Amino acid sequence: MQLAATIRGTKYRFDSIKEVLAKANPPKSGDDQAGISARDPVERVAARAVLAELTLHDLRENPVVPYELDELTRLVEDTLHADAYQAIRSLTVGQFREWLLETSTTGPLIRSISRGLTPEMAAAASKLMSNMDLMIVGAKCEVVVRANNTLGLPGRLSARLQPNHPTDNVEGILFSTREGLSYGCGDAVIGVNPATESAESTAEILRALNGVTTRNNIPTQNCVLSHVTVQMDALRLGDVPMDLMFQSFSGSEKGNRAFGISVALMDEAYAMMSELRSSHGPNFMYFETGQGSALSSDAHHGADQVTLEARCYGFARRYKPFLVNTVVGFIGPEYLEDGAQITRAALEDHFMGKLLGLPMGCDACFTYHSAMGQNELECLKVLLGAAGCSYLMSLPVGDDIMLNYQSTSFHDIPSVRGLVQRRPTPEFDAWLHEMGIMDGLKPGPRFGDPGVIR
Amino acid sequence: MSTTRKLIEALRERLGQADPLPSPPAIPRIQAPPARVFPTARTRSCYAEQAAAHTAAILGIGHVGTRYATDVVLQFQAELAVAHDAVHTVLPDDWAQSQGLLPLKSRVEDHHQFLLRPDLGRRLDEESLERLRGNAIQDVDIQPILADGLSAVATMGSGIRLLETFSNECRFRGWTVGTPMCAKYARVWLQDEIGETVGARVACILLGERPGLGTGDGLSAYMVYEPRMGKTDSDRNMISNIHARGIVPELAGRQLAMMAGAMLDQKTSGVSLDLSGLTAELGQAASGGYREPQRRVRLVETDR
Repeated sequence: MQLAATIRGTKYRFDSIKEVLAKANPPKSGDDQAGISARDPVERVAARAVLAELTLHDLRENPVVPYELDELTRLVEDTLHADAYQAIRSLTVGQFREWLLETSTTGPLIRSISRGLTPEMAAAASKLMSNMDLMIVGAKCEVVVRANNTLGLPGRLSARLQPNHPTDNVEGILFSTREGLSYGCGDAVIGVNPATESAESTAEILRALNGVTTRNNIPTQNCVLSHVTVQMDALRLGDVPMDLMFQSFSGSEKGNRAFGISVALMDEAYAMMSELRSSHGPNFMYFETGQGSALSSDAHHGADQVTLEARCYGFARRYKPFLVNTVVGFIGPEYLEDGAQITRAALEDHFMGKLLGLPMGCDACFTYHSAMGQNELECLKVLLGAAGCSYLMSLPVGDDIMLNYQSTSFHDIPSVRGLVQRRPTPEFDAWLHEMGIMDGLKPGPRFGDPGVIR
Repeated sequence: MSTTRKLIEALRERLGQADPLPSPPAIPRIQAPPARVFPTARTRSCYAEQAAAHTAAILGIGHVGTRYATDVVLQFQAELAVAHDAVHTVLPDDWAQSQGLLPLKSRVEDHHQFLLRPDLGRRLDEESLERLRGNAIQDVDIQPILADGLSAVATMGSGIRLLETFSNECRFRGWTVGTPMCAKYARVWLQDEIGETVGARVACILLGERPGLGTGDGLSAYMVYEPRMGKTDSDRNMISNIHARGIVPELAGRQLAMMAGAMLDQKTSGVSLDLSGLTAELGQAASGGYREPQRRVRLVETDR
């Protein structure tokens, strides 16, 4: 296969499709750190020109990590939907981008071929797209999922309530929870990142959260984001109200090994939740991802961080999750240097996740050593709202006092919903109305009053 | 006139083509909204008061529309500015020498590169390696290393006190302590090359930690037994949140010396180090590492 393009008389050659994918990427400090990015903007465009001419079949035949070496590659290859793949296999990546953008290509139409796409195809399309292209297609995709409420319907924007506490003080967690609910947050999940990785502590927090949602009849889900093995141990304790089970994913088998997981382990966890979950619906898993996680454990196999991120979604879709979100700015400036890179990555991840059929949310965030400011982060939240992102996070003033980074605030959720005219899940919307917290898109009489929650 | 043209004319007529644009509405009396402030012990709401007993999260702050009150915005911006300021402060080149410390530098060339290339921050540059070989005491029990990490503000603030307390605690226990030194543009793993070069049994790097909102002055200490390149995070033990409002340097220095003692006794560090005998003395450090909640202080005071 000839992998070369000429720009202004200079011929650019590439040795592999993996190299083309990497060099076609918009600038990312993580790709620079890995030494795989384009050496200049012209080479980057040359790589995109080559990529645009490759077919989706070429991409299926050339996964960035070989079939023999990696169980995620095998999982995707062995479970790819044959008819869906047949429908799109001969399109070039350039044609695929255009097909996605056509007005006649509706969300349901995209959904119909989604199972025939490999992660490499989704990543490749993103590399030929501008930020607004990514938003247009992302907004078209419709992924509806059900647990205790229904997430992802058109015109909806949900929020995870994230009441973290540095010592897992349950009272402290509940104070943050009640305040967040009074701002209309928490319809995606009330999810705590625990400081302590123990089954007992996970169970204790779940019981406390369940107390709040039961007492107040709140149609939502609870989750404690400890390691999946800890959550399985918590389930074994018996009578633990676990609505969603959580795990972080990486884009290669080696990366997942560093996270202490494998396909077999996740299959076991999924089977356990099928039996023992407390939520009512077909979707009950929750996954987090983020560009750069594979490189940070030296598990990137020379592939770029966008393609590896897409491979997390290829893994995630096996488990029909209720929630998937990228934690886009959390990893730090050595992977995403500044506001432009974090914004770009957020829109890429949302697009790729939705294209691969996932209910994609985003933790729009930065660490304090990244070159991103508050205004840029607020802009990103509005962009994500306009792009049809399924959910954002929410914390008091956006400040995570446990993990020490800046995310979305309780106040941001009703603000973005108002700006882009989106409401919470219908069930939660009705509850907010009944409580007097929201009156449609407007704050109700008890808005911001945590005293309304028992 | 075409039908379309006629329709457009009719539409313009309906939109009031002939009418002047409306004048601005009458001016009402504008009243200042009720005071809503960042909750301090004196001013906070009942909910903020109760929450403060359990969490450092900023709660009970009310809202204007769906946004923050001005006072809350200012407090938030001040906390953010403190964090950013700490990250962007560069350790002056002559600071180490002015404090009587052996100056070292990683392979990083400037602050921007320091943030983007953790790999370069884990290795000494040639000149520093020579200086270390030529000037540092060899074959010591303990090698303390002061470093900038992600907050030179913290290093210049309480770094010397922590370094001295820790070194004295070690000498008091009868161990030999290496030459006092300070490394610039340093990441945690730089302690491996330094410790290996001077032949230390235990290396301990004291460096500015990644700032959180409103906290730019925290130090962390990472310790490793038999430092050598190739050690990973699971080979290390750490104490974080060392600053005036967290673990004070005097206490941290003593805790670190106890941790070093455990390493020398058990000849290991990291996940295989048993600190269960020191639970009372080490507190959270023994259990493996979450931070104490920071206490929030009001940062903005204006003279009126």
